[in-house]
Amino acid sequence: MAWSGKHGATSPRVAGRQKTRNFWCTLKLFKLIRHLYSTNPLNVAETLLDIAMMHSDSLIARAREGDKTAQSKLVQLWYKRIYNFGYKFFYDHDLAMEVAQKTFISMHKNIAGLQEVTRFKSWLYTIAVNYCREEARKRKTNRALSLNDLKPGEGEESYRWEESHQRRENPERQLRQSELSDLLQSCLMELSAEQREVVIMKEYEGLKFREIAETLGISENTVKSRMYYGLEGLKKILEQKKITKETIGYEL
Amino acid sequence: MNYKPDEGTLISYLYGELSADEAAKVQVYLQANPQELKKWQALSNTKDVMGHVQDKEVIAPPIFMDDTKVVSFWNNNYFKTVMSIAASVLFLMVAGKLLGTEINYQQGELKISFGGKKVQTENPAQPVLTEDKVQEMIQSSLAKNNEVITAGWTEDQKRLSQSIRKNLDQNSRKIDELMKTASDASQEQVRGFVASLQNDNLKLMKDYFQLSAADQKKYTESLLVDFSEYLKEQRKQDLMILQTRVNSIEKNTDQFKQETEQILANIISTPMNKSNKNSY
Repeated sequence: MAWSGKHGATSPRVAGRQKTRNFWCTLKLFKLIRHLYSTNPLNVAETLLDIAMMHSDSLIARAREGDKTAQSKLVQLWYKRIYNFGYKFFYDHDLAMEVAQKTFISMHKNIAGLQEVTRFKSWLYTIAVNYCREEARKRKTNRALSLNDLKPGEGEESYRWEESHQRRENPERQLRQSELSDLLQSCLMELSAEQREVVIMKEYEGLKFREIAETLGISENTVKSRMYYGLEGLKKILEQKKITKETIGYEL
Repeated sequence: MNYKPDEGTLISYLYGELSADEAAKVQVYLQANPQELKKWQALSNTKDVMGHVQDKEVIAPPIFMDDTKVVSFWNNNYFKTVMSIAASVLFLMVAGKLLGTEINYQQGELKISFGGKKVQTENPAQPVLTEDKVQEMIQSSLAKNNEVITAGWTEDQKRLSQSIRKNLDQNSRKIDELMKTASDASQEQVRGFVASLQNDNLKLMKDYFQLSAADQKKYTESLLVDFSEYLKEQRKQDLMILQTRVNSIEKNTDQFKQETEQILANIISTPMNKSNKNSY
């Protein structure tokens, strides 16, 4: 990216020139994207993704060198993903927050030791998975605390509404979608932890099988096998709860 | 055809992670085996249904990192305290040495003294003078003094009268000479005096004009300086306006950059796997 230069001590004049250059580069970039969109709209998404990945890579490289701004931007960039991973794993807001915060604190402490920038994603998810497992172990020992098992929304009436990101949509439809999401989330919780983490990483976090294998430190075939049996298990759970593609279509 | 894809291959096919050749093989296999196709479709449906789980929106809380700095031995508080005490003691010792401090304790009496011991020198005994002798000495001294004063006084009187007389003679002689010189003053001398007066006046006028010209020059110069300063000020203000404009452009650029970064961040934080799925 245009603004991915090293952060060093530069004179105000040089910084000003760099800013102006960045501005023109960004402008050119947007013109290029507009041109691409007018010629082939399908390629634009891929181009944007490539640009975004380049941006992310430069951020990681800077963060590895100790740039605090880059580290903070990485947190902003990945917080939602790690939180959602934790949330889907535990179906619990507080635990997901706990895991996300611990993950990013660990990231800050250990990012200097990251060998390859391209492995950042799997490295980050490895930290998150380890914290999830640690929390799950703690939770198992403190099983007597029934409050931990409370599903979000049961204790807090306005919880789902506060977190809704599509408030402008039809509220009734929004409510049904939210309820369905919670129902499917509860089905996900019936899977074993091993299958659940693979299903979440593949289905919701969009990791490739190779990346999941790297994250969990297991073979790609094992990952695929866990995914296959995870989906099989979910199919049975959905059948038990009479949730099908058709009923969902009708409900929504 | 004996090809039968394993579970891993089927799941890779479902998520579009097979090469084109392998994907074609699996497609042919599924077409040829309706039973397997049904199983695969059931998995695909499950995947679709599970895709309805929504992401929760969350705002990243500020995470403050505390860099644990290693405190060096020199910056250690304990070391600093010990060093300051040692420095104070050393200072006191040096000061004591320089001032020659001595502390004595003898027979329940504490003495603190500065500097060395003072050596007292005793004056030798003077011969004794009686009252009569002193009286006599005073009288003789007074008599001598009176004699000297009287002699000096008469001498001075004589000299004074002589000098007055001499001065009077000299003055009368000078006045006579002056009167003689004044009467001898010629007409030529008067002319020379007038000419010198005219010369002086001319010089004065010249100086005046010169001075006036210098003042005018100075005034013109100051006028030019003022004008150049005015121009400078004007330039400075123009530059300030330009700077403000440039700052505003910079601000816009920063905003633009932030918006762009936000867009890119959104793109990254949205998983792209859903578009890769193989459909049947």
